[in-house]
Amino acid sequence: NSTKNQSSGINAEYGGVVLGADTRATGGSIVCDLNCEKIHYIADNVYCCGAGTAADTEFTTKMISSKMELLKLRTGREGRVISALRMLKQYLFRYQGHISAALVLGGVDVNGPALYTVYPHGSTDKLPYVTMGSGSLAAMSVFEDGFKMGMNEEEAKNLVFHAIRAGIVNDLGSGSNVDITVIRKGNVEVFRPYQVVCKKSERAGDYTFPVGTTVVTSSTEMVPFSALTVTDEEVMEIS
Amino acid sequence: MEKQFEIPSLRPSAGPKVTTTTGTFGVVDTLRSGFVNTRSELTARHPLEQSEALYDFNQQKIRLGMANKITGSALPLTIQAERACAARIGRLPGLRSSRLHFEVFAGTDETITIEDVFDTPSPWDEEPQYTRCNNTA
Repeated sequence: NSTKNQSSGINAEYGGVVLGADTRATGGSIVCDLNCEKIHYIADNVYCCGAGTAADTEFTTKMISSKMELLKLRTGREGRVISALRMLKQYLFRYQGHISAALVLGGVDVNGPALYTVYPHGSTDKLPYVTMGSGSLAAMSVFEDGFKMGMNEEEAKNLVFHAIRAGIVNDLGSGSNVDITVIRKGNVEVFRPYQVVCKKSERAGDYTFPVGTTVVTSSTEMVPFSALTVTDEEVMEIS
Repeated sequence: MEKQFEIPSLRPSAGPKVTTTTGTFGVVDTLRSGFVNTRSELTARHPLEQSEALYDFNQQKIRLGMANKITGSALPLTIQAERACAARIGRLPGLRSSRLHFEVFAGTDETITIEDVFDTPSPWDEEPQYTRCNNTA
């Protein structure tokens, strides 16, 4: 069961990161999950969008989340985005791309907001705006047109929403709702969903058949089970 | 001694050559070389099979090789000696041991890895725990 989806993020000047993702999980050409969660928790101040195989992204982010918690307990400090990045990079490189997890990692730590992208083979990039997944081209086209340095939170959220929406509308591998996670210094706000883009339509008519549609040619009365009487019982051992 | 702390090559090498003695007509002599598992010889191995089997060993070798270049051979030698002693610390055969000293050297006491999640020995296994982490050199 794989997700061919999209996720994107913006590193905005207001001092935070906005991550967005759609909610469709596909297995080939069948939609397996209409409302799956693609923005994964890594630490209180670090979140990660996952594109690629659903199990790989889920498990990889959970593993790195556990490692980050252990590191936090060891050092006594709040986790940093680059720690999560290095753990992800070394983990994925070890498996030489066989773990198909393309991730967008974002968070705010003592060094400020940071947005990274991690590819399945382990390469990473640090950029102000990134997209991953099947709808990444549609989303990136919106980013390239609309991104400017020094955006505030509302502008950043709006731009991410339109980027994800472009992928949902134009790409078959993306669909359903837009999820957005806003990470600021000190708190995180999760909009799930930020907006419902594709809603399942209502059934247009009544498709039930009225009684009498099928002609009854003959009928026999069935004896109910309770009408039978038990005459002999024997308990046997299973060897 | 310098060869011991060389950074190991991570390229996959050909598997160990299994020499089987052949009897008359070129048939494998089962008495002397055991049963032949043809399938394991013919099917291709996973590209990561060798690198995963040697992962811990190679990572240790890389770390000790770097320590050798930076600080000299005293540090990696003492680490190796103490690690070898820690690998032998344990209870009577058949009893479980936490192997904390060994885990500190392996670096697995402060982190979580794939081995802690998948294919862990169940509490009802008869196999003693210390045979799982073999310090192959």
